[in-house]
Amino acid sequence: MHYIFPALAIIGLAIAILAALRKSPFFNYLGILLAIYAGLKSLSLIMPPLPSQVVHMYMVVAVLTFLIYFSISEETFHAFLRPIRTVLADDDKKALRVAIVYIFIPLLAAYIAYSGVSPSFTPPVSPRISHPEPPMQMTFKGQTIKILGLQNPLRQDTANFGKYVEAGKKVYYQNCFFCHGDGLNGKGIFADAFNPPPPPFMGTDTIAQLPESYVFWRVAKGWTALPPGSHPWDSAMPEFENFLDQNSIWEASMFIYYASGNKPRTF
Amino acid sequence: MAEVSVGKGLTKGIVKFLVILGAGFAALFVLKGVLAPPTADGYRFFPVIGSRDWIWVVAQTHLDFAAFVLGVPIFAVTMEFIGWRKGDPRLDRIAYDFAKLFTLAYTFTAFMGAVFLVSVPLLYPKFISYMMQILGYTWWIYLGVMLAEVVVCYLYFYSWKKLKDRKGLHVFLGGLLNFFGLLLLLITSIWVGFMTTPAGVSKTGALINRWATIHTHMWLPLTLHRFIANIVFGAGIAAAYAAFRFITSKTPEEKAYYDWMGYTSATISIGVSLLLPGVGYLLGVEIYSFNEQMGIQLMGGFFAWLWVMQAMLIGAILFFINYYLWISLHKMPGGERYYGQVKYLFIVVLLGYVIWITPHDIALSLSEARRIGAYHPVLGKLGVMAAKNTAVILSYLATFLSFSIFRMSNKEPVVPWAKAGRVLKALIITVSTGGVLFLGVLGYTVSAEVRVGVLSPIQFSLFFIAILALFLLDFFMYRGARIIGEPRWGQMPERSQYALIAITVTFTWLMGMLGYMRAGARQYWHVYGIMMNKAPDAYLPTAGVASIIVTITTLLFLLMVAFVFWSIMRLEKFSERRVTGQ
Repeated sequence: MHYIFPALAIIGLAIAILAALRKSPFFNYLGILLAIYAGLKSLSLIMPPLPSQVVHMYMVVAVLTFLIYFSISEETFHAFLRPIRTVLADDDKKALRVAIVYIFIPLLAAYIAYSGVSPSFTPPVSPRISHPEPPMQMTFKGQTIKILGLQNPLRQDTANFGKYVEAGKKVYYQNCFFCHGDGLNGKGIFADAFNPPPPPFMGTDTIAQLPESYVFWRVAKGWTALPPGSHPWDSAMPEFENFLDQNSIWEASMFIYYASGNKPRTF
Repeated sequence: MAEVSVGKGLTKGIVKFLVILGAGFAALFVLKGVLAPPTADGYRFFPVIGSRDWIWVVAQTHLDFAAFVLGVPIFAVTMEFIGWRKGDPRLDRIAYDFAKLFTLAYTFTAFMGAVFLVSVPLLYPKFISYMMQILGYTWWIYLGVMLAEVVVCYLYFYSWKKLKDRKGLHVFLGGLLNFFGLLLLLITSIWVGFMTTPAGVSKTGALINRWATIHTHMWLPLTLHRFIANIVFGAGIAAAYAAFRFITSKTPEEKAYYDWMGYTSATISIGVSLLLPGVGYLLGVEIYSFNEQMGIQLMGGFFAWLWVMQAMLIGAILFFINYYLWISLHKMPGGERYYGQVKYLFIVVLLGYVIWITPHDIALSLSEARRIGAYHPVLGKLGVMAAKNTAVILSYLATFLSFSIFRMSNKEPVVPWAKAGRVLKALIITVSTGGVLFLGVLGYTVSAEVRVGVLSPIQFSLFFIAILALFLLDFFMYRGARIIGEPRWGQMPERSQYALIAITVTFTWLMGMLGYMRAGARQYWHVYGIMMNKAPDAYLPTAGVASIIVTITTLLFLLMVAFVFWSIMRLEKFSERRVTGQ
């Protein structure tokens, strides 16, 4: 079953090549689309599978752009339309016309409609917001803190940077690592229990994009303070103001940035 | 239209403007007396769809028209000026056609403006009263400038034929028209700037510094962004007009003219759009520097998915223009020599498009989330700015090459260094592509500060240097070139014209969507952080609902634009009949 998509990709490619040799752009187009779809699905053999949302997006782009490509030249475009015209208009293609227009296409439409409305036990897919917007100010154990322009006070004490990072490491391993993982890769022992999974900190695409005030707010307030648009129920991040003091959160933040090789965003 | 005397035309324009404005004020006065008083919080409610959605549709449609009537005069005057200096009557005709378009569109702009003028004070009286208290004087200046703009606009259009021997004076009038247009842009950006990034007032909204209420973070970058976008949009509408006229033309001469007009307008539109990422970047930097929360919300928060939609739309625009240029090769004698290169350009634009639309944060089903984790190891890499900037720049470079190939395809260089020139051209393309790719990959290894502050500007600079170098190289290499044959203007399949129309439709939709994001950045504030919006519909709709409303505004605007096109054709027929005495 694993190899059905690579096999389909090869078939698609073969159709595309044969059609190109026989100067049949329509079948060339179909072959290319099959090869792309099956090729995208085959990637699961060498990496985690591509999400269906992305496969859909790529296929819509492929369908439209290759249609554009095959209609650039007048000659190619006419050749592209020829099989369609033949099926729809030629007298000797009546059986094929009935099979495609009156049987295959309605059945396909029915299948798509049925798949869309049939009940399913899997939760619906919805886009989530990776960086929910923080409020202008927050409270920390009753103390009001303005988030805008908030700086990590410990970073000013450069002489003790290593000490703070070391302290932050302890905080991380006592509180964060169960979900966010040993390697800061989002693969902690509890990670599989959550949807969406905890984000990783390695790489330049998560905390590197954020100012440190944001990280402080997110750690301190957890899921409870997420704005409604960000689906607070889509996060299991605890409110760490209930377990840690402000300095400990700043230390953990310093450790995460340091260990992932990133720096807080400053603009 | 143009057969009317200058005095008559001018009077008609002024009367029209005053009648619409007067009707607006009268309606405001009457409705204020008739309608129930506002709630204690200062709101009235528009029936069925609610005040927010009503204002949204009216404001966006008005803005679309405003962008059109402020953008088109810029290049109409430029065309007229070049035509005058070069003695090219075709350029004068295209400028005149542009003038026809925006003069007629003024009426619609004023009408939608009047609807807006009536709606906002009635539905949001407390908010408008506060705005008048802080920036009221700018509103009266705005009305004065608007009247001056209308006078000059009608004078400019109706004096076209009368001043044909005094072109300098006529071009000056066009310059004056654009000067007033720019003033209008500056004034309206003051209001939006104050509402989104307020300054010069206390926490309770009391006035502290009048100049600071004008010179907000957003004021100048927004004006600049709108100025450039207006040219892009105006030229896009002009291209759609040309396409529409091409499709409906009966004679080869008319087809040839409108084919050329469509090409010229589309080139201006896409050419000027090259500046938009840069000025958009400036606007983004100002928003972040005003308030990083607002920046996060716009770029990575609630509006993050709309950026994916923006990528889809701009990528589609690039595809449409490339498609148009590739088809255009067929009307160029000698164009067939370049058919082979099209497939490589297609691959670059396609890959660029695919990378650009790849979201960083993907909607995952439960089983997918279990298998993939929070971010896909490969797609996650394509979803960040390092990849996207690179993809966008290379797509634009490919588009520039499509344009360059089209322009030179009917020429054969005769300079002795032509062979070396070709090698140099290939070298520029290779080095710039390699450089942009290298910097893109390097972007993954450095901090956001270095990537955004250093590498991205270098990437964009490299791109601009490359296209400037290629442009200059072509200019010198093809000087006195042997012409294989003149372009066969008018010999284009109709589907190429639908590509031009599709560009305009996409632009309109894009403007609506980005307008929503800009306004939505204020969230539940009339004036961000100063005056809260306590109306029941002061919430951000889902991306789906927002898309529907943006689609409605787009359709409404295009319907009215189609009416403008139809009216011009009717008036032309009417003029023809008058001339022939039928």
